[in-house]
Amino acid sequence: MSLGKRALESALALGERLVPPAARAEWAQEWRAELWHSEHGRGPARGDGQRVLSLAYGIFADALWLRMDWFQNWARVSAYTCLWVLGAYSLLCVLVERVAEGSWREFFAVVTARFLGSFAFVAAPAIFAAIVTYPLRPLRCNGAHAGAKRILSTRTRWNLFLAAKLSLTLLLGFLATVVATEPARAIAGVRLAWAADWLELLLSALVVTVSLRWALLDQEQRCQKCLRSLSQPTRVGPASRNFLEWSGMALACEDGHGLLHVPEMDGSWCWYDLWVELDSSLTGLFGG
Amino acid sequence: MDVVWTSSENFRYLDCEKKMSSGKLSHSVAILLKALSLGYQFGFEIMDVTGLPSGTVYPALRRLERDGLVTSNWEAEDAALKESRPARRYYELTRTGREAESTATKRYPLLSRLIPEKLEKAL
Repeated sequence: MSLGKRALESALALGERLVPPAARAEWAQEWRAELWHSEHGRGPARGDGQRVLSLAYGIFADALWLRMDWFQNWARVSAYTCLWVLGAYSLLCVLVERVAEGSWREFFAVVTARFLGSFAFVAAPAIFAAIVTYPLRPLRCNGAHAGAKRILSTRTRWNLFLAAKLSLTLLLGFLATVVATEPARAIAGVRLAWAADWLELLLSALVVTVSLRWALLDQEQRCQKCLRSLSQPTRVGPASRNFLEWSGMALACEDGHGLLHVPEMDGSWCWYDLWVELDSSLTGLFGG
Repeated sequence: MDVVWTSSENFRYLDCEKKMSSGKLSHSVAILLKALSLGYQFGFEIMDVTGLPSGTVYPALRRLERDGLVTSNWEAEDAALKESRPARRYYELTRTGREAESTATKRYPLLSRLIPEKLEKAL
């Protein structure tokens, strides 16, 4: 077996592990057929090394896309799943860091030092800026939700979920930064510790920005009633300007709880997204 | 406020139009739709005729299939055995995909000249 073929077989084996189990067999079968064509048929004419590299990248990119798509579908299931996933990843980071430090005492010492040394320095002003610039919107529900009474009000559940998600996202970001910069600290040693500090500071800034942005955007696109992510984005296009005096995008809750109208352009008459609650007779229209 | 209800396929088409208008349906995806509309059916055939790398073609095919613009079928084992090769997964445009392809061709008129019609059966 040639070196190129062995490299592609290895890439295929690695890719197979990345693909979600339900799609794995079909994915591998398709790629084997494609690679056969590349070898025996009239595949893209390139130098052998370049061809192998390009194909190996293709295999990996394809497998990664499937895994990411699977993850997005899985993570959007419910508010609880979202929090569980964030919590589980945070725990994983804790365990990795604990193993790296050798003892819980060392772990807490390092984590406290890093938190006060760089993360809090970046996170505090970013959180402050995010809160003061976050538009104060009226509650988007049109009145009380129909159905079973809950102990907590809609607004309380909404705010609790947002607070929990923000906290867990920032915690995960912080722990991931600590774990990711550990090898850099080991390489840098004592002499170049300042470089590792700067790297951690920059990474913290990036992580805080991305975390806050993701948590707030994700919150905007959730059902008011069940807190699931909304789906089926549909454009209500230019024709509606004449008939509905409105244009933009509508997102639906897969359980049929309601629709979120996102205006194409914000205006004084419509400067926030409008949540329209549906009654149970319309639930069947949106079954996922 | 009234709401316009559409069938799921129109739903996807409108979504596709939205992506087109916001530039999210990229030029490479438009090329891919064109190749499929001209009868090129599987990954390497599409890579061959468009010159796009596998890292672009396969994820794009997955996305188009997920969005309902493309559907895929496995070739019959018998047909593949006759040619002593493994069965392939063939892709084709759905009705929504054909509409999207036609919109893409209007937007990028040079697409028609870029990809030749499929004349012969691939190995």
